[in-house]
Amino acid sequence: MDTLQHLMAGLAAAMSWQNLAFALMGCTLGTLIGVLPGLGPAAGTAILIPLTFRLDPTGGLIMLSAIYYGAMYGGTITSVLINVPGEAASVVTCFDGYQMAKQGRGGTALGVAAVGSFIGGIAATVALVVVAPPLARLALSFGPPEFFALMLVGLGLVTSLAGRSLLAGLAMAVLGLLIAMVGIDPVRGAPRFTFGIPSLYDGVGFIPVVMGLFGIAEILLTMGASDRQVITPTLTSLLPSREERRRSAGAIGRGAGIGFFLGLIPGVGAIIPTFVAYVLEKRLSKTPEKFGQGAIEGVAAPETANNAYANAAMIPLLTLGIPSSPTIAVLMGAFIVNGLTPGPFLFQERPDLVWAVIASFFLGNILLLVLNLPLVGLWARILHLPHQYVSVGTLLFCMLGAYSLQQNVFDVGVMIVCGIIGYGMRRIDLPVAPLVLGLILGPFIEKSLRTSLEMSGGDFSIFLTRPLCLALLVVGGLILLGSALRLAPAEIRESSTN
Amino acid sequence: MRRGWQVACVCLLGVFVPALVTSLDYSLTDALGPGPGFFPFWLSAIGIALCLAMLVQLVRGGVVSHDAAALPLSRQAALQAGAVLLALTMAAAFLEPLGFRLTMLPFIAGLLLALGARSLLAVALCAVAGSFGVFHVFYYWLKVPLPIGVLGI
Amino acid sequence: MSRFATAMFAAGLALAATMAGAIAQQEYPTRPIQLMVAFPAGGSTDIAARIVASIAEKELGQSIVVVNKGGAGGQVGWTELVRQRPDGYYIGFINLPATNTVILDPERKAIFTEKDFSPIINQVLDPGVIWVKSDSSYKTVQQLIDAARKAPNTLRAATTGILSDDHLAILMTEEAAPGAVFRLVHLEGGAAQFKEIMAGNIEVAFDNVGSIVPRVKSGEVRALAVMDDVRSKFLPDVPTMKELGYPTVISSSTRGVAAPKGTPEAIIAKLRDVLKRAMENPEHVKKLEDQGIAIKIMVGDDYARYFADTHAKAKKYTEWAKTRPMK
Repeated sequence: MDTLQHLMAGLAAAMSWQNLAFALMGCTLGTLIGVLPGLGPAAGTAILIPLTFRLDPTGGLIMLSAIYYGAMYGGTITSVLINVPGEAASVVTCFDGYQMAKQGRGGTALGVAAVGSFIGGIAATVALVVVAPPLARLALSFGPPEFFALMLVGLGLVTSLAGRSLLAGLAMAVLGLLIAMVGIDPVRGAPRFTFGIPSLYDGVGFIPVVMGLFGIAEILLTMGASDRQVITPTLTSLLPSREERRRSAGAIGRGAGIGFFLGLIPGVGAIIPTFVAYVLEKRLSKTPEKFGQGAIEGVAAPETANNAYANAAMIPLLTLGIPSSPTIAVLMGAFIVNGLTPGPFLFQERPDLVWAVIASFFLGNILLLVLNLPLVGLWARILHLPHQYVSVGTLLFCMLGAYSLQQNVFDVGVMIVCGIIGYGMRRIDLPVAPLVLGLILGPFIEKSLRTSLEMSGGDFSIFLTRPLCLALLVVGGLILLGSALRLAPAEIRESSTN
Repeated sequence: MRRGWQVACVCLLGVFVPALVTSLDYSLTDALGPGPGFFPFWLSAIGIALCLAMLVQLVRGGVVSHDAAALPLSRQAALQAGAVLLALTMAAAFLEPLGFRLTMLPFIAGLLLALGARSLLAVALCAVAGSFGVFHVFYYWLKVPLPIGVLGI
Repeated sequence: MSRFATAMFAAGLALAATMAGAIAQQEYPTRPIQLMVAFPAGGSTDIAARIVASIAEKELGQSIVVVNKGGAGGQVGWTELVRQRPDGYYIGFINLPATNTVILDPERKAIFTEKDFSPIINQVLDPGVIWVKSDSSYKTVQQLIDAARKAPNTLRAATTGILSDDHLAILMTEEAAPGAVFRLVHLEGGAAQFKEIMAGNIEVAFDNVGSIVPRVKSGEVRALAVMDDVRSKFLPDVPTMKELGYPTVISSSTRGVAAPKGTPEAIIAKLRDVLKRAMENPEHVKKLEDQGIAIKIMVGDDYARYFADTHAKAKKYTEWAKTRPMK
């Protein structure tokens, strides 16, 4: 088969000592960038582009791609250990990963995340090799109306994240959606709810908000608990139990699928696949109440999904030349600066280079696993330091992260305020996840609605005349109906007890 | 905990109601469909409805069982949380005037001591590493600008 | 004191002050300089900024740190720039006409005006371009305009943002071809335009040459016209709007360095000289031209005049854009 030949040739090229070294450097740097606050993959990649001027194109691209999916893993480490998402896509891992760490199972969580990421990445790359061009066309059929419908379906996930009170979950989602409206609006291009504060012109800022809601709030909550015992993990407890392995297997499989398919759709972003995978696992689980308390599937699913997403998001870039996210756009910039234009023609003009880069994805995922798995025990030991050092270290980390995003103290202030809010919410058990979901989806929903209407000249029927859009809306409606029928009776019953 | 939820509902109303009012300043519709004020208006309206429904639920005894208690809060915990918040706020306030290094040094040292760290040597080392060390790595190696204050440090 | 002594004293003071000023100028810079880019890292302004900074800092002897202050289409960064101390240690990139439209759009409530900047030197001038899919039925601009006349407000034309230079360029085209009305779709950036064109959701896109040169070369897209006085050296086969009979449609996106108003003339002169040499450096030229970005160095009165002209033009089209019917 032609593809297989190309792949073999690519593997041979990727396994040269030089290219392996670049992949290794990329994975290491990427993990570091993911761990370090504020330095998201986009900024880190941009700073490193000048490096690629001096390297040969293949090596440079291998390294940059490795940085990209390596960073996906780095963000996990801080999510699990200190409840601070090192990077936006790792938010969902906080829900259960950190709880596992508190129970002394941090090493297991990181291990499962590493394995899941590996499987997700490999699966997505295999799919890339086998079905790339036809599936890539699928990406094109997701125009603004389909995107709008997809985001609405995503919003329907909120019912599964509500916790003890559906009304509270909905209210939090509404709050998140509303906060997302601060900034320049997509309709007039004019500031909205900014009260004359220039720092708000671009919105409230997702990363400071989640750093506050999760990281700072957690620190405030653990104050005064100096007498809590830190469970010392024995070597065997670093491994998941058989029961856990079984549950993770399913979660990993489903997470990989979700991450892959969403990765094909430009613009989705890495966070949404993690939410979808998480909620799916919760819905399918026989013990949904364990989610949020340290369920291993709650770590396996989102982690697999986000690595599958990162690898799959390369497909629109390589086959069609369409970058799926700002970070990948930076990667594309690196291609162009080196004189190569990603797209269907690149496959034909320089198959040697493209296949070498694709082959390096396989190798990179293996390298990531090899790099991170042994270090898992080491990372987990950080939690054994005296709690003052862990707490103050986390606070330093958060301050650094919030400030270095835009060199703006305002972001630090936002983080602190959200820390207080998160603290209050946790104390009375108000659900945080719906707020985060609303915050993420808000801009997408409004912008895609507006763009759809600009395309149709104000005609709403565009949502009903495009088959894929209609299908998505119907699916979304059914899911919502199903949730309502399932949850409402219980909710109504609940309000008249006691 | 019930009291906590009631307070939370009132706070949420305190956000949704002004949002509703402010959204009226932006046009709700325009030639193509929803205007800038459309979603804020309806979202705030829905939010207000949800809050009122929750308050009703709480009054009727639902959601939160009668004897459910919020997470325990000891005096020491409250004081320590307060100290952390105060330290954070002051650090944020002084970050740009005094610069990263001069702000983080007392921040780290002070907070470590306030939380009960005992080895002065360890505290000093961490404070220096966390302020000057981190600055050096970020500013010179990673080229991420961190604030330098009026004293030039 | 005798009058002679007073005069000598005054002369001595003046001499000392001048020498101090001269020494300060000669000593500048004594610490790193921050170069602000009003857009996130990785964008084309950012990459070009980092290239010129890495060359210029060698001559200056102090490092130039690129600071990204993205947000609100550049408004956040420019607001920050005008607030800085005019001592030459914080300068930034201004992007015309984006900077102009932010000032001119009353809804933006910008706290700065065009007088708050001291322009130093212009780096890049990226002309506007009209492009379609390579297998599109529109092979010339005239066909496009005729179609837009026949069925007004049906042909979907994409911009890279509300009040971007592309948005204004479409209005310029409509003005030059009365009766032609496009349905405006505001997307976020060139990549989104490319996707929607490929998907068939948009018929035509207005963007800048630098964004599409690689794709024109690879044959995926067809450039119909360039909105400049002269043909682009990167797209030599593409006619200009002037050649096609629309000489008033001239639109480009320029990027240059400015300092906050009040920065001493001596420091501006030094920066101007150093940056000019950096921009003329063959390494800089090669790196930018490899990406299809055209360098156009403008300094002094030339740049100030260009700024004023662009501002006046932007004013006219911004006002029109605000009141233009959408259906």
